[in-house]
Amino acid sequence: MDDVLEKLLQTPRLWRGCSPADKPGWRGLESGYPRLDRHLPGGGWPPHALTEILLEHYGTGELKLLMPALARLSQASGEDAAGWIAWIAPPFDPYPPALAQWGINLSRVLIVRPKKAGECLWAAEQALSSGNCVAVLVWSERMDDVASRRLQLAAEKGQSWAIAFRSVKALSGSSAAALRIRVSTGEKGTDLGILKSRGGRPAVIRDYASAAEH
Amino acid sequence: MLKKVRAQQSLSLEVPAVRAEFTQASNARPAVVRHLWLGVYLPALALEAVMDVNSADAFAVVEDQQGLRRVLLTNAKATAAGICRGMSVNAALALLPVLSLAERNPAREEQVLIKLVTWAKQFTSFVSIEKPAVLLLEIAGSLRLFGGLGTLRRRISGDLQQQGFTASLAIAPTPLAATWLARAGNRVCIRDRKNLTGALSRLPLSCLDWPEAVCESLQAMGIAAIGDCLRLPRQGFARRFGASCLLQLDRALGRLPDPRKCYLTAEVFCREYELNEEQSDRELLLNACRELLLELERFLLSRQRMVQRIRFSFFHLQGPATHLTVGCAQADRSIEHWCELLAIRLDRLQLPAAVIAIRLQSSRGQPLSTTTGRLAFSKTDSRRQESLISHLVERLSARIGDESVHGIMAVAEHRPQYAWRASRLFAQPPQCPATPPVAELWRNSSLLSQRPLWMLPEPRALDMRQNLPHYQGPLTLLDGPERLETGWWDDDGIARDYFVASNPAGMQLWIFRNRTRDNHGESGWYLHGMFG
Repeated sequence: MDDVLEKLLQTPRLWRGCSPADKPGWRGLESGYPRLDRHLPGGGWPPHALTEILLEHYGTGELKLLMPALARLSQASGEDAAGWIAWIAPPFDPYPPALAQWGINLSRVLIVRPKKAGECLWAAEQALSSGNCVAVLVWSERMDDVASRRLQLAAEKGQSWAIAFRSVKALSGSSAAALRIRVSTGEKGTDLGILKSRGGRPAVIRDYASAAEH
Repeated sequence: MLKKVRAQQSLSLEVPAVRAEFTQASNARPAVVRHLWLGVYLPALALEAVMDVNSADAFAVVEDQQGLRRVLLTNAKATAAGICRGMSVNAALALLPVLSLAERNPAREEQVLIKLVTWAKQFTSFVSIEKPAVLLLEIAGSLRLFGGLGTLRRRISGDLQQQGFTASLAIAPTPLAATWLARAGNRVCIRDRKNLTGALSRLPLSCLDWPEAVCESLQAMGIAAIGDCLRLPRQGFARRFGASCLLQLDRALGRLPDPRKCYLTAEVFCREYELNEEQSDRELLLNACRELLLELERFLLSRQRMVQRIRFSFFHLQGPATHLTVGCAQADRSIEHWCELLAIRLDRLQLPAAVIAIRLQSSRGQPLSTTTGRLAFSKTDSRRQESLISHLVERLSARIGDESVHGIMAVAEHRPQYAWRASRLFAQPPQCPATPPVAELWRNSSLLSQRPLWMLPEPRALDMRQNLPHYQGPLTLLDGPERLETGWWDDDGIARDYFVASNPAGMQLWIFRNRTRDNHGESGWYLHGMFG
């Protein structure tokens, strides 16, 4: 019996979900929430890729989720200069006192408010592929599969982290994003549903902000 | 005895005071060249100003001489066909029927000279025009920078050749001597005044622009070169030929000062580009604009300036011109960058008709500030990153609009709606060292209560049901109140109690209740922000 099992395990065609070889080659950007990091391959947000955040209403904890990682990126550290963070077509005004409380370097924030929906994706693509922005946040109603693929490619080209906020209606459509997370309200706090994760697995994290496992 | 007389004669034109200075100078210190003039003579300017450089046809410039149109200058092909200066137009056409002719155009010649002055300003700050066809460059101060006389001279003559000009260059310590030597076609370089007399003596009278009558009577006296003039007695020379000729000789030899006027080129760039025919093709228009931008780059380089805003005007045969202003966040003089911005703008510009001419205007600009390049491009080089992010910002604002791309900053103010504002990117922060940056205060103080990440542009009134504020369901107050009562001094005072509240959808909201009651005696509830 053991012999057979051993043989089977050595077959290269067999994929084992928990094998250490499956660890991705990148190191993720620590999200600041250890429970979330544990579920993400590379131990954090996928760098140089598109992350999609799906939500029902703006203001349900989607910014809080990103703030620790963005704050670290916006501050100069060692070799890296302070990076720029572009906000493209935010639905409300990002409030500087609050951003400062979270530790965001305000002198590195770039707000872009396109007048037309088409310009929104163009601006995001420019900001991503220029290689000057460490992170680009984009709110666009009009995103589709093609747009997500373009953003993903631009993020790879410019070595930048793209974050797209979309409505939960986009859930059924396909997307080229490396990570899709659904933010929803649970009984105790905000729940996260990892819908798609390149190199990882889907998961649900209840009340992600709290330290204790539920 | 004879030798002594010769010596006396040759010295007769010298002014005693100047001679004294000469001997003093040679005793006291080695001869220091204070000025060195490079004369650039353009013998074929009349031809080159009107000729199309790229055409290979036989070409001649004609001028009205005593009622008869005569050939003034010809290009190589016409010369080969036997057409020469002074020939009448009819004779020339008889020799070569396909000969193209053009009238001499002095205004155009002057334009070309001015253009050349602009070009020459890159070598020296002092350029003077000696009409009709000589430029004088004062180069004593430029020798070190350009790597010596030989290198500078080669560079200038090479550049002229590249621009399609025939030129003869001569260098002398006085402007007049440089002019005459250049006109005579002597490729000489005289750095010392001692050698000036010898070099000028050999020049024929034809290279001076003295009146025809003077030259003729001198020639009748058997005087053919400047050296012969110098041997004439001063008084007699002045009486016969006028004091101005004597003055010129003195100035050429450096005995009398010869002040020159530096040609001041316009400080504001304004050039036009005329298209051969009406054009509406964007690509061709962009190329024409590129030509103008190249000129702008040269213009700015010679002044060590850079500009932040340029304006293109597209002229149509009928109707008013279309204007297009292109600006960038940080002043720049690189052509590639301007072209890129222009291409974005031009793409979206509505041209009502085909374009016949383009004009480019720029502001005076600001002094150039450059940084030395680095070999290794490290990411820590924030200056470099700054410049690249400014390129991104310019691209974005070129398409979306200046006011739609901005930064943000925190303001020291208690009223939440005034505690921030949009800031211009790359503006120099105001120098006020007394107050610490507000953002630092927000970050470091744990006493300040939490602020929401999202702010509504205007507070939104909340529905009231059973005395409870509603926003997608009844609200539960989590924290508060935080009382903000201030701003009574500028008519926009607030008296509010702020609360943190949550609704059934899980949103954390920042709401407030007005402490001042409205007309109905109600104190309304408002939504002001979301914690995101």
